[in-house]
Amino acid sequence: MDDSPRPPSDQSPPPPPPPAQFLKGIVGKRVIVRLTSGVDYRGSACVLGVFWMMLIDAWYRSTIEHVNGIVTNRYGDAFIRGNNVLYISAAEPM
Amino acid sequence: MASQILPLELIDRCIGSKIWVIMKSEREFTGTLLGFDDYVNIVLEDVIEYEATAQGVKKTKLAQTLLNGSNIAMLIPGSEGPDAS
Repeated sequence: MDDSPRPPSDQSPPPPPPPAQFLKGIVGKRVIVRLTSGVDYRGSACVLGVFWMMLIDAWYRSTIEHVNGIVTNRYGDAFIRGNNVLYISAAEPM
Repeated sequence: MASQILPLELIDRCIGSKIWVIMKSEREFTGTLLGFDDYVNIVLEDVIEYEATAQGVKKTKLAQTLLNGSNIAMLIPGSEGPDAS
């Protein structure tokens, strides 16, 4: 039996998968969130949960809803449920 | 026996190169593949979104983008997308 300890490099946790890194990286940045319905939300990302649930804190304290490029609504803080999200795109350099 | 390549291994080898993503709906994306996870949620860079509408194909340029894996139908590694073929 080999009881020798593993080298420390093996004990370091593997890096998180790229999607998780992306979600971490966009916190506080302006984002465009498109739902599967085609509606866009623009704002700055605040908190991102496990299932992509995300709080969009505002771009100037308002989340802006776009339908076909036309502003249809402005909200304060909004919480988007992750299952509806088609993509999250960075609107400023990461 | 010839060595087998599993589908996700093939996508893993494509990291850093162009990929064409076809969604379940009338929507396609091309971009440089940065990575993906177990659900095949995909991170792309220098993205073009192609959206089929009644008026024709609408193109949208996007920066770094995280695509939800649950809507993806097909991945074409190494392809520049619908304009190239």
